[in-house]
Amino acid sequence: MKRRLPLMIVLVLGIFGAVAFVIPHPIVKSIDETMRNDVLRIITAFSLVLGVGSIIQHHLIKIRRKAEHWPFSYIALISLAVSAAIGLFGGIDPASPGILPTHIGGFSFHMQALYDNIMIPLASTMFALLAFFMASAAYRAFRARNLEATLLLIAAFILMLGAVPLGRMLIRPLPDFAEWILTVPNTAAKRGIMFGIGLGSIATSLKIILGIERGWLGGGG
Amino acid sequence: MGFWNKLLKIDRRWIYTIIWLVVMIPLLFPFKIKPMAMPPVTRLFNYIDTMPEDKALVISVDYTPDIQPELHPMCIALLHHAFATKRKVGLLTLQVMGLGLGEAAIRQVTEEFNAHATTHEDSIINGEDYVYWGWTTPIITILLGMGERITNVYPVDYYGHRTESLPIMKHLKNYDDIGIVVSIAGSSIPISWVNFANTQFGVPIGCGATAVSAADYYPYLNSGQFTGMMAGMKGAAEYEQLVADKFDELGIKWELRRKGTEAMSSQTAAHIAIMIFIIIGNIAYFVIRRRKK
Amino acid sequence: MTLSLSLIFLLSSLSPPTDVIARDKPNDSGGAILLTWTRSSDTTVVSYRVLRQTEGKATWDTVGLAGRLANRFTDDEVQDGIRYRYQILTVSETETAESAPSEYTVCSPQWFNFDRMPAVIGTIIFTCLIVFFIGRAKRNIKLFIRRIAGLDAVEEALGRATEMGRGILYVPGLSSIDDVATIASMNILGEVAKKTAKFGTPLIVPLRDPIVYTVAREVVKESYTAAGRADAFNQDMVFYVTDQQFAFAAAVDGIMVREKPATNFFIGMFWAESLILAETGATTGAIQIAGTDAVSQLPFFITACDYTLIGEELYAASAYLSREPLLLGAIKGQDYSKLLILVLIVVSTILALTANLPVQNIF
Repeated sequence: MKRRLPLMIVLVLGIFGAVAFVIPHPIVKSIDETMRNDVLRIITAFSLVLGVGSIIQHHLIKIRRKAEHWPFSYIALISLAVSAAIGLFGGIDPASPGILPTHIGGFSFHMQALYDNIMIPLASTMFALLAFFMASAAYRAFRARNLEATLLLIAAFILMLGAVPLGRMLIRPLPDFAEWILTVPNTAAKRGIMFGIGLGSIATSLKIILGIERGWLGGGG
Repeated sequence: MGFWNKLLKIDRRWIYTIIWLVVMIPLLFPFKIKPMAMPPVTRLFNYIDTMPEDKALVISVDYTPDIQPELHPMCIALLHHAFATKRKVGLLTLQVMGLGLGEAAIRQVTEEFNAHATTHEDSIINGEDYVYWGWTTPIITILLGMGERITNVYPVDYYGHRTESLPIMKHLKNYDDIGIVVSIAGSSIPISWVNFANTQFGVPIGCGATAVSAADYYPYLNSGQFTGMMAGMKGAAEYEQLVADKFDELGIKWELRRKGTEAMSSQTAAHIAIMIFIIIGNIAYFVIRRRKK
Repeated sequence: MTLSLSLIFLLSSLSPPTDVIARDKPNDSGGAILLTWTRSSDTTVVSYRVLRQTEGKATWDTVGLAGRLANRFTDDEVQDGIRYRYQILTVSETETAESAPSEYTVCSPQWFNFDRMPAVIGTIIFTCLIVFFIGRAKRNIKLFIRRIAGLDAVEEALGRATEMGRGILYVPGLSSIDDVATIASMNILGEVAKKTAKFGTPLIVPLRDPIVYTVAREVVKESYTAAGRADAFNQDMVFYVTDQQFAFAAAVDGIMVREKPATNFFIGMFWAESLILAETGATTGAIQIAGTDAVSQLPFFITACDYTLIGEELYAASAYLSREPLLLGAIKGQDYSKLLILVLIVVSTILALTANLPVQNIF
């Protein structure tokens, strides 16, 4: 029963999802939308509680066991508690204040301020690391090991040169050729992969709906 | 361990430092590099340059502050081109976050021109030479409504003037008076311009896009739905170069600040550095492989 | 007098659009009427306005605007079961002209979307092929499956981790559970977890989506139970980190640098963080196996990882690893469907290329 029930739910809802794709009638559409929006949102809210519980437990264990770098776990837990408190009781921004004051003199720390001054700069910093990682990956791993890798290397050179004015100065038709590589062979390869992905995703869905694929239940039958 | 082996196993932090320097130094001290315009940019420039004199250029400032470094230079270059060739300009934004950017662009360019103006003719005057309609919503009503009467869509401009009272609006009633609309965006707004203004009214549409999203726009360019396109920082730099050549041709002496072109030196240096890394990496790889054999 | 007469003549000179037809918009859930018309022949037309009248009411309301090159409009602010009719107003700089009203029409919801018929037929053919090959697999007919290096390496990678006494990091992408890549990743996680349970290798699974977290925890737990090592399962193996993309990337980078897992799996849906993860992983000297259907991230993984599952290889992975005949049968069905699409593309390309040649007359 423990296995059969989830499989039954998946079968019924999976078939319903496929049916809703071709039946536009409001009766079917409204049930489909309720499932997708309301039910999913409720499940997410509950699972978020489990998620937060998980991260708290993870760090408490680290602190208890004095695992390597355990003091950082304190920082994680305190940040979690403070931002949750500000989010729950402090309000989003000065226009919609909560019950807790979120400024000391000219210094404000409402949710929007935290987002603008902590989240965005940190996320931008992580994103900017890409430039450095691209260079080190290119140096470390971009090798003409075989014919395919050599072709890839040549294409990369043409594209990189084509994207800067120097390329046109050196060889006049180079940027046009770079554009051709992007629009013709690149698109063709992408489409080939997309076909495979499309079919693969239908097949995976089908296998799950029919209960053939049970890996998500921990495998086996 | 031989020299090449050492080189391959070099501490990554050296690579990071080199990349940092290669990006930062040209940003602070840009070197001269002359961009050569590609056909999509040339087509846009030529269209604006040769369109009938009584037609206005409309710029739709549809980008947001996060992609400003890449797209703002395009807006500035278009304004330089339009005012140097005495075109009337209409500005609007379909993204509320773009409101301040449109204002900043028009303020910067009018100040530049007016600082060098000696006569009333040479000055760029709000309400006569340009109008900034600002932002309103919803998008479909704007794109279709502008085909009938622009003053109905924007009863007041960004600065609070009644548009009916502005001299420029006497000759800028609807799409018939617009030569081209150039939508500069990081999102799919240029496609909305094609779907409504171009398909339903036949207005030519130009596009300014981030380098990442430009790939999606090539089909529209090939089908002629976009008259021309500036793609990424390089597109901006190319347009700036064409405008600079135009300034020379018109005998305008003052120097233009060309942010797109300045950033190109940093981008060029970074690309060359990465290519050199790849070449060194490969030489080392082949030398070591031969030794092993 | 002559002046006013000629004015009247001028006023009535604008020709209105003709053949205004209103009908229920097909294949929808109701609440929409589709209008079509033949455009006015006048060159002075600026735009068209769409006017609507509800039966039994005297007033005409403007419901929309269409450009001078348009000849259709969808009115989606109507109610099912109520009768409406429409007029199209031609607008020029100086005057307007009304078309004759359309017939009254009613809109209603439909039970089948015929626009999606090709997708339905394609899916049916595809399903039949898969079911056929699953049937063959059931009858124990041996099915060939090509080697996938990335998946062959899983065993080796696990062995290496066990030898070194280090853990395995498994990142099932950053997307939600409704992404097929995430589901495929859960299937692979099940197989990987069975093997780590068998070898007693430590497993680390950080997650970004709370629902995926609950699913992943169950998958790992069930796999440990299936491998007969329920006692070795530890709640702390699978944990939720944050739903912020780059904060998650930073956390995983931190785990890789601190814990130094012997093998990193990046399998599922990834965005801009792909290279940030893979390159940091490479610095720690781990064997890295990636798999994604995010086409734009593939080059990063191919460059920075040891093995990469490209697109559909990701979906085939659980069949490959478990060697279960039913799953292998589905892959065979997939291959034949691809062959069918390939043939269709080639044939239709040839037909399109020869469309204007006399060779068409043969058919």
